[in-house]
Amino acid sequence: MAQQANIGELLSMLDSPVLSVRDDVTAVFKENLSSDRGPMLVNTLVDYYLETNSQPVLHILTTLQEPHDKMDTDVIVLTTGVLVLITMLPMIPQSGKQHLHDFFDIFGRLSSWCLKKPGHVTEIYLVHLHASVYALFHRLYGMYPCNFVSFLRSHYSMKENLDTFEEVVRPMMEHVRIHPELVTGSKDHELDPRRWKRLETHDVVIECAKISLDPAEASYEDGDSISPQVSARFPHRAADVATSPYVDTQNSCGSATSTPYSSSRLTLLNTPGQPPQTLSPPSTRLLTEPPQATLWSPSMVCGMTTPPTSPGNVPPDLSHPYSKVFGTAAGGKGTPLGTPATSPPPAPLCHSDDYVHISLQQATVPAPKKEEKTDSARPCLHRQHHLPNDRGLEELPGLKGSVTLSDLPGFLGDLASDEDSVEKDKEEAAISKELSEITTADTEPLVPRGGFDSPFYPDSLPGCPRKTHSATSGPQGTSVNPEPFNSSLDKRGPDTPKQAFTPIDLPCGGTHESPAGDRERQTSLETNILTPSPCKIPPQRGVGFGSGQPPPYDHLFEVALPKTAHHFVSKKTKELLKKAKGNTEEDYPPSTSPAEVLDRLIQQGADAHSKELSRLSLPSKSVDWTHFGGSPPSDEIRTLRNQLLLLHNQLLYERFKRQQHALRNRRLLRKVIKAAALEEHNAAMKDQLKLQEKDIQIWKVSLQKEQARYSQLQDQRDTMVTQLHSQIRQLQHDREEFYNQSQELQTKLEDCRNMIAELRLELKKANSKVCHTELLLSQVSQKLSNSESVQQQMEFLNRQLLVLGEVNELYLEQLQSKHSDTTKEVEMMKAACRKELEKNRSHVLQQNQRLDTSQKRILELESHLAKKDHLLLEQKKYLEDVKVQARGQLQAAESRYEAQKRITQVFELEILDLYGRLEKDGLLKKLEEEKAEAAEAAEERLACCKDGCSDSVTDHHEEASGHNGETKPPRPGGARGSSGSRGGGGGSSGGSSSELSTPEKPPNQRAGLFSSRWETTVGEPATSIPTTVGSLPSSKSFLGMKARELFRNKSESQCDEDSVTISSLSETLKTELGKDLGVEAKTPPTLDGPHPTSPNPDSVGQLHIMDYNETHHEHSEG
Amino acid sequence: MTEDSQRNFRSVYYEKVGFRGVEEKKSLEILLKDDRLDIEKLCTFSQRFPLPSMYRALVWKVLLGILPPHHESHAQVMMYRKEQYCDVLHALHVVRFVSDATPQVEVYLRMYQLESGKLPRSPSFPLPEDEVFLAIAKAVEEMVEDSVDCYWIIRCFVNQLNNKYRESLPQLPKAFEQYLNLEDSRLLSHLKTCSALSRLPYDLWFKRCFAGCLPESSLQRVWDKVVSGSCKILVFVAVEILLTFKIKVMALNNAEKITKFLENIPQDSSDAIVSKAIDLWHKHCGTPVHSA
Repeated sequence: MAQQANIGELLSMLDSPVLSVRDDVTAVFKENLSSDRGPMLVNTLVDYYLETNSQPVLHILTTLQEPHDKMDTDVIVLTTGVLVLITMLPMIPQSGKQHLHDFFDIFGRLSSWCLKKPGHVTEIYLVHLHASVYALFHRLYGMYPCNFVSFLRSHYSMKENLDTFEEVVRPMMEHVRIHPELVTGSKDHELDPRRWKRLETHDVVIECAKISLDPAEASYEDGDSISPQVSARFPHRAADVATSPYVDTQNSCGSATSTPYSSSRLTLLNTPGQPPQTLSPPSTRLLTEPPQATLWSPSMVCGMTTPPTSPGNVPPDLSHPYSKVFGTAAGGKGTPLGTPATSPPPAPLCHSDDYVHISLQQATVPAPKKEEKTDSARPCLHRQHHLPNDRGLEELPGLKGSVTLSDLPGFLGDLASDEDSVEKDKEEAAISKELSEITTADTEPLVPRGGFDSPFYPDSLPGCPRKTHSATSGPQGTSVNPEPFNSSLDKRGPDTPKQAFTPIDLPCGGTHESPAGDRERQTSLETNILTPSPCKIPPQRGVGFGSGQPPPYDHLFEVALPKTAHHFVSKKTKELLKKAKGNTEEDYPPSTSPAEVLDRLIQQGADAHSKELSRLSLPSKSVDWTHFGGSPPSDEIRTLRNQLLLLHNQLLYERFKRQQHALRNRRLLRKVIKAAALEEHNAAMKDQLKLQEKDIQIWKVSLQKEQARYSQLQDQRDTMVTQLHSQIRQLQHDREEFYNQSQELQTKLEDCRNMIAELRLELKKANSKVCHTELLLSQVSQKLSNSESVQQQMEFLNRQLLVLGEVNELYLEQLQSKHSDTTKEVEMMKAACRKELEKNRSHVLQQNQRLDTSQKRILELESHLAKKDHLLLEQKKYLEDVKVQARGQLQAAESRYEAQKRITQVFELEILDLYGRLEKDGLLKKLEEEKAEAAEAAEERLACCKDGCSDSVTDHHEEASGHNGETKPPRPGGARGSSGSRGGGGGSSGGSSSELSTPEKPPNQRAGLFSSRWETTVGEPATSIPTTVGSLPSSKSFLGMKARELFRNKSESQCDEDSVTISSLSETLKTELGKDLGVEAKTPPTLDGPHPTSPNPDSVGQLHIMDYNETHHEHSEG
Repeated sequence: MTEDSQRNFRSVYYEKVGFRGVEEKKSLEILLKDDRLDIEKLCTFSQRFPLPSMYRALVWKVLLGILPPHHESHAQVMMYRKEQYCDVLHALHVVRFVSDATPQVEVYLRMYQLESGKLPRSPSFPLPEDEVFLAIAKAVEEMVEDSVDCYWIIRCFVNQLNNKYRESLPQLPKAFEQYLNLEDSRLLSHLKTCSALSRLPYDLWFKRCFAGCLPESSLQRVWDKVVSGSCKILVFVAVEILLTFKIKVMALNNAEKITKFLENIPQDSSDAIVSKAIDLWHKHCGTPVHSA
């Protein structure tokens, strides 16, 4: 204990937050585990883990090493383990695959174990083991067919395993069909996670069940064997979850695993002679249930109203024991229609002998049990069964410590039974009494039992309300036989919840009844109350059954597995309660799990059985017991207990399966509901369809009617139309007629119009005629009046004529009388005057007219004058224009002249320069001489000079004509040059012209003149000349020129006659020449010195004035 | 108005949008078509627009009085002119003032001297006053091909300078100062500070009328205005030259350098200078109103 406490401390330290501490403790644990090989520590760890879910502990446990996962040869443990494995496999299809070969190995070993039976294993246990191996086989084959088959192939191809195969595996294989996966799948595909993802646990279970040919295991698409029961519970699905454990386990135990305690015991209790009755409860249930199912049965809805009968109809004398066993078992509940109740029993009865032998191997419990009970001729066998059991039981305490987690329920049951056995001795008497009562009651109450069962169902007891049913049945049962009633009630408890009874409710009812019925157990009730169990059920149980028994169980339970068991149980119950969705109407505490109830029930059943066994004066047992020493054979009890344990395991396994089935059922139910809904919907649709069809028909009828009406209307319309057409035609005809008439009328009208027009024309003509005549008439009348007036005038004139004639006569008389009258003269004068006046008047008129004309003429003339003025102006303008033009030209000419003047000046300068040079040569004297000579020469030359002059003049004239009246200055120069050259010597020739011009002048004067001029030219070439102006004033002036002209004319006239003085002649020549030159170019006057310069400034003005004159002169001269 | 109607009606808009001279040739032709040319109109035109080069000589001759306004007498007058030219030239040859080797410009000078009666006694080196003539003659020689025309234009141009502008030419430096002050007082002050104002090449600018300063192609545009009676344009050309070369002038601090630079201004921008100067002239003195 100290060590345990130490371990406890260590465990608590394991969860310490300090990492180092945790590591240390873990290390300590591991060390311990490696050193200590006992299971104690491991068990403690497991307990602790279950309690705290501590991860470190889990870690330690998972890293456990070899010595602790030791080879366990105990069948119970093995069976439990296998079952757990089978249960687990569908849950971990994916994660379990890496251990697949381990699983296969387990299967191989266990199967060989089954055959070889090592050690002292009781055969009854082997039966269990075999069943579990069989289940494992199914599971493995269902889940991993390819892998499994290949394993089988490889494993059993070995010779040493051949026996095992032949004996164990092959029969198993006969109960499975070929898995589809073997055809379509592969090894890898089986392990494919995707395959398992689609499937839930229950799907996997069902999948496995599908490939089974075993009617107990097999699950065809609709779950035929199970569905009736399940379907029976459908109306109360809510209660079903809670209740199903009971029933399912019961049924499955009874059918598949042969329920050694419940059904087999029942059969035992009911005596061998009444097997039908023992089986009747399920059958009756089946019989009675269908009515309920008719109310609402999923199987019916699914179209599976008739479950397969073949398993149930399997002939009892089938060669193979398995089929027989299962056939009978299945027949008990599998056949839905009454008959199976009778048919299965014969099988075990008839072939019990064959059975026994085989059953030992095949572990078909029910058959052996039944045979045991029915056939009392072989008690030894039974004893043999029991004996090993006892032995096994004895070993149990030793095994206690090493019970694995999965074994716990079984172990619990084991313990319970164990405890039971401990206290059994004391209570055996009481129990055996009760059992004897039951058995006694069993004999007669065959009928009551039927009635006992019936009250659960409305068919059998229609009048009774369900809730009160148990209450009513309770008294009934108590009145007849309280004990079996109670037990049966307890057993049927789960069924009652269908009528909204909770599973726990019934026990309560039972307890209520039982006190009423059995006062004897009042004492035991008190002890029950004292039990430490938190559940209410155990006491109730205790009340229901043996008074003292449950408390010790619980006590022991607590002691043996104080925490583990409690936890496990409470967890389970909680889960179940959760699933039950609170179906407990009375709100029972969650601890009252149905599973527990069942566990206990089975245990108690076992107790009862053992007690009964001890009580019963069965020959075999009593003989045996007496034979072994009087006291109850502990071996057998142990065996039984172990069996019970195994059975419990099986039960749990079956419960697991049942849960999976339940899940599936729920799913199916949902489908069914959907289907129903769809069906209803369909029906509704059909109804609607019908209604619509009706509507359609109605519409059709109305359509026909309407069509008829329509055709009628059409006819009417047609007739109307035809009528109207005819009318139209008529009207058109009329219209045409009218049209024709109107046309005729129009033509007539046209004619009339024409006539009217003609008439009008005529009228007009007539009118014109009338007018004309009227005019004529008026003319005529005028003429008439004229003629009348003329006549009148004529008359008047005639009268006047007459008067005048008279007057004439009178005048004539007067004339004659007064001949020389003065007045007459005066009158005549007057008349003359008048006439004159007239004349004058007309003259005045004439004058006026003339005046007018003259005025007109004046005007005309004035206009003419204006025109003339205008013209004049124009002329003036033109003149001006011309003047300007001329001026322009003149300016040009003038400038030319200027230039010319300049040129001559330059030339003069040049000449003078040259002269100056010559003079500078000092030839002045010579010059004078030469001058004298020159004078002579000049005189001599006069004649020739005349010619030359005339020549020159003509030349000049020619040139003037050629130059448009203008002479060029170089000419004279040239002439001079020539004359100069002619004169001989440059100097004489230079002065020749001047000499020519002034021949009469004394040389001195001339020389002075020259000298003065030279001086002037040297000093002021242009302006110094005026000093000599006086010398020849007349020659330059206009008057002078005129005078010269006159003179010249004179001289010309006298030229031929008298040879005037040469000087004069020469002068004239000179003047003429000068005139010519002066008029034209004014250059010659420069020879005279004063002339050219003095008029220079105003020369232009002079020229302007003289313009016309000169030209006139020229013209006149020309 | 008939003339206007003959002209393109768009001409007004051409001027407005800045196209100058589109219609000028045409209008000038119209003006020249008149018998008895309207000298005033021609003056106005010449002042207002640049003359087309093909009519420049004719217009100048008319404006300078070389040709009379009447077309009829043009031929005759021109003949006179030619004869006069020939006579003078001949005279010069006779008096051996010129020879065939004498440069044409000098020939012109001598001719001018002869005609004006200023011919020196003997051919000597040209006097400073003759330099003006020579410069102008050189410029005109470039502009006019015919030597007769050339001589007459030179002669009349110089005469115009000597007669018509005798009074106004000396005023031009003052006017120059005034306008330069208006345009760029800083420049003027700079010139003043450099005391270069009085030493600017006024002779070159105003006496020679930029002959030898500006290339002939630009010069003739200036002379268009001078010939047509405005010597003020010279002032604006001078101002514009200063404005154009302002930076350089501002950079120069020495009066001599400034004068030297201005006497030898770069010729490449002369066209722009003249255009700007004409604009400036129009701006300050107003565009001459077309009397037509």
